[in-house]
Amino acid sequence: MRSETGFDPALYDRFPTKGERPRHEEAQLKRIWCAPKGWEYLTVVNNNYVGIYYLATAFLFFLLAGLLALVMRVQLAAPLMEVLPQATYNQVFTMHGTVMMFLFAVPMVEAAGVLLLPQMLAARDLPFPRLSAYAFWAYAVGGLAFFASLFVGLAPDGGWFMYPPLTSKSYSPGINTDFWLLGIGFIEISAIAGAIEIIVGVLRTRAPGMSLDKMPIFAWAMLVFAVMIVIAFPSVILATLLLEIERAFNWPFFDATRGGDPLLWQHLFWFFGHPEVYIIFLPAAGMMSMIVPTIARTELVGYRLIVLAMVATGFISFGVWAHHMFATGLPPMTAGFFSAASMAVSVPAGIQVFSWIATFAIGKPRFNTPGLFAMGSVVIFVTGGLTGVMVALVPFDWQVHDTYFIVAHLHYVLIGGMVFPLFAAMYYWTPMVSRTALSERLGKWVFGLMFVGMNVAFMPMHLAGLMGMPRRIYTYLPGTGWDLPNLISTIGAFMLALGIALFLIDMGRRFRLAPGGGNAGNTYGAGTLEWLPTELYSTRSIPVVKSREPLWDDPGLSDDVEEGRYFLPNSATGRRETIVTSPLLAEPQYLQIMPGPSPWPFAAAILTAGFFLALTVQAYTFAWVSGALATIAVLRWLWDTDQPVDQGDVDIGAGIRVPTYVTGPASHGWWAMVILMIVMGMIFAMALFSLAFLWGNQPGFWTKPLPLTEGLAIAAGYVGVVFAAWATRRLHRRGNSWATIPVILAAVAALLLTWLDARAWLALLPPDTSGQSAAVNAILCLQAMVGAIAVLMAGYLGWRAVKNLVSQTRNNTLDLTCLFVGYAGAQGLVGTLFARAIGA
Amino acid sequence: MRTWLILLGGMLVWALHFFGLYAIAEIAPHRAAVAALTLVCLGADVWFLRIISRLRRDDPFAAWRRSVAGAGAGLSLLAVAWQALPALMAG
Repeated sequence: MRSETGFDPALYDRFPTKGERPRHEEAQLKRIWCAPKGWEYLTVVNNNYVGIYYLATAFLFFLLAGLLALVMRVQLAAPLMEVLPQATYNQVFTMHGTVMMFLFAVPMVEAAGVLLLPQMLAARDLPFPRLSAYAFWAYAVGGLAFFASLFVGLAPDGGWFMYPPLTSKSYSPGINTDFWLLGIGFIEISAIAGAIEIIVGVLRTRAPGMSLDKMPIFAWAMLVFAVMIVIAFPSVILATLLLEIERAFNWPFFDATRGGDPLLWQHLFWFFGHPEVYIIFLPAAGMMSMIVPTIARTELVGYRLIVLAMVATGFISFGVWAHHMFATGLPPMTAGFFSAASMAVSVPAGIQVFSWIATFAIGKPRFNTPGLFAMGSVVIFVTGGLTGVMVALVPFDWQVHDTYFIVAHLHYVLIGGMVFPLFAAMYYWTPMVSRTALSERLGKWVFGLMFVGMNVAFMPMHLAGLMGMPRRIYTYLPGTGWDLPNLISTIGAFMLALGIALFLIDMGRRFRLAPGGGNAGNTYGAGTLEWLPTELYSTRSIPVVKSREPLWDDPGLSDDVEEGRYFLPNSATGRRETIVTSPLLAEPQYLQIMPGPSPWPFAAAILTAGFFLALTVQAYTFAWVSGALATIAVLRWLWDTDQPVDQGDVDIGAGIRVPTYVTGPASHGWWAMVILMIVMGMIFAMALFSLAFLWGNQPGFWTKPLPLTEGLAIAAGYVGVVFAAWATRRLHRRGNSWATIPVILAAVAALLLTWLDARAWLALLPPDTSGQSAAVNAILCLQAMVGAIAVLMAGYLGWRAVKNLVSQTRNNTLDLTCLFVGYAGAQGLVGTLFARAIGA
Repeated sequence: MRTWLILLGGMLVWALHFFGLYAIAEIAPHRAAVAALTLVCLGADVWFLRIISRLRRDDPFAAWRRSVAGAGAGLSLLAVAWQALPALMAG
């Protein structure tokens, strides 16, 4: 095999090493990765704890949203029921959908990633444990505050996709909608933080030898999932920002009477909203592809095709957003290819389903609880997939749009595609984190009740929908023919709930958390690395991976790993650390020193939540104080993470030495910054799309923009910013002590250039004039925000330079600041020219 | 980067075609433009398949990369043709 980094693969032959390892090594690892006590449970950052917190919180939201569903089902069980008033019903269905999609589904799979990936990849932890902790606390605090709005009658009531003009200030004057817009925008930031962690984790912290073709399929699924979040979520972040600005400051992005367009919201929302379905489905499919081979006791059929199917789903799911808008009167050509893509996306999903069926067919499947949930998932998901192909057809979609047929379809897809695999996963992986596995006998009851209950609840909704029952009605008249299907659905919903209640009882009886070892072990006889014996530091040593199911192919691997015969059997530097490997072939590159527990991620999350909540209730002073303190908390947390280490390079096992610090594109920090810039770039690109969309759809409101020639001086200034950022890195590498100065000045210049540009535009188009003026000023606001962040980063760099923490060899802070300031310049350049060019 | 381009090449061609179609439909809907874009993308897929067929497969990773990339380009070829048909008929 050729090398990716110059590492000699023959060195892998030194493992497993011979001879006894010193006894103190294991004690040292235990001391460094010790369990928290008392208040330390709030500051803990290990994936073993944060992953469990995350899973438990997401499951709590599943239960809460499920209770809301039961209340709705009681209200609809018979005509003219009066369990819920109409206005409360609107809040309940909005919260049910919102909580299930934003607070349960995405966080749940992200949580599964945080918990499972380090074990599966045999890393000590994911590369940014403090970011994981921040993402969790931000989500938990923000989510609970958001849910609490229901108890004070302030919950949003515009449906989970919040279409304007219903959600505009005119039709939704209260702060209910603001709770949704600011709350969801905030929670999505947490999702993006988790996605960055997962991408860098999967690509850079795999066990040596675990090349892409040997990567567990769940890791592939999480990689595609996280990339999709990075591409899709910026769209909804921008959309919520624009609608909130419209409501707060009267900038008419979505007001058709002033040159805005409510359909712009639908484009922005569904560009996120449909990929969201696959964002939820793919990790669940990844779990299925891990569970099915173990249950069937054979290798997964079609590993390569499944990888391709996941990647193809990731792409094609971005080409189907407008199928939610067929009823808005799309041009025939647009409707045509969106319909074709909507049908095409079922092909990669089908590849995965056929692979699971084939694996079951050629193996010797066990009909235990995870196996039953996996098989049940296939049946339910395929049913939902078939109705999905039906609604991909434009004429059929016109007939059933906004009816209960769609409610049935989406629940079959989401429950079959995500909830059942999740239950399979909870039964399957519980022995990995608990001292005892869950009950098989009770588990079969849980499965039976959930499977039958689900079908009894949702199958009749197809009929109700075909009979014309619209979504979101809080009651209906007798004699419509909807009575019986609704009664049956309500009975089914309670059966489903009973199954989940039994599951909770089983969890209460048998689940005993064992993060420090002593778990139930490899109950199902799986072949992947998460079933190696683990402690809080993950595995005792990090194995060399030679196949996709190493535990099946090397029965002695567990013992050798446990005896420290592989990589990193100790702590080479006396700190928390993991091996960073190359992205394709997973060759060891360097040793990452990992940050330990800290109160700052927790404090930053609480303060960030405070900022958004205070904005929602219009307590602006409190909001700005919270925001400023959150920024200080983030900077304080970062301060510890780029510290000097005494050892320049260390032995990570069998005499193989790697550096303890690298800079530039090889470092994991660089990767995270590049992904963050892609997120910022996507937000910006969607803002440019918004301006172009309004130009194309509201030409009557268009004002001739500022002349392009007048923007050239500003554009040249932005080019200078990019150049200064690039030059700073080069000057610093040459050892110039003043090299940080150009990038600091460039960051300030980027902000000044935005101010100059804004001044010119404000003289021509105040932001509340038209859709065009609102969109242009939104672009300028985004640019100002990026400029402000660049100045903050530059200030932080300057302070570290003053403290002598930026040296020629240890300069990641400088690298990342240069990268971001360069990005700020490039974004400013594009924005300056685009706003002047469009509609000129 | 080269490996990622090889693995994702087919899908990138599909994305280019899809968003190209969207731009044509929104800005200047015309059958000829759809046909031209489709031919270019089909040509790109065929060209890409030829490149992939010449890639080495002397170790497990190279063989895996070649087969995933080839299947991706094949899928892209079909998907591009599939989504162009309704646009051509409706144009």
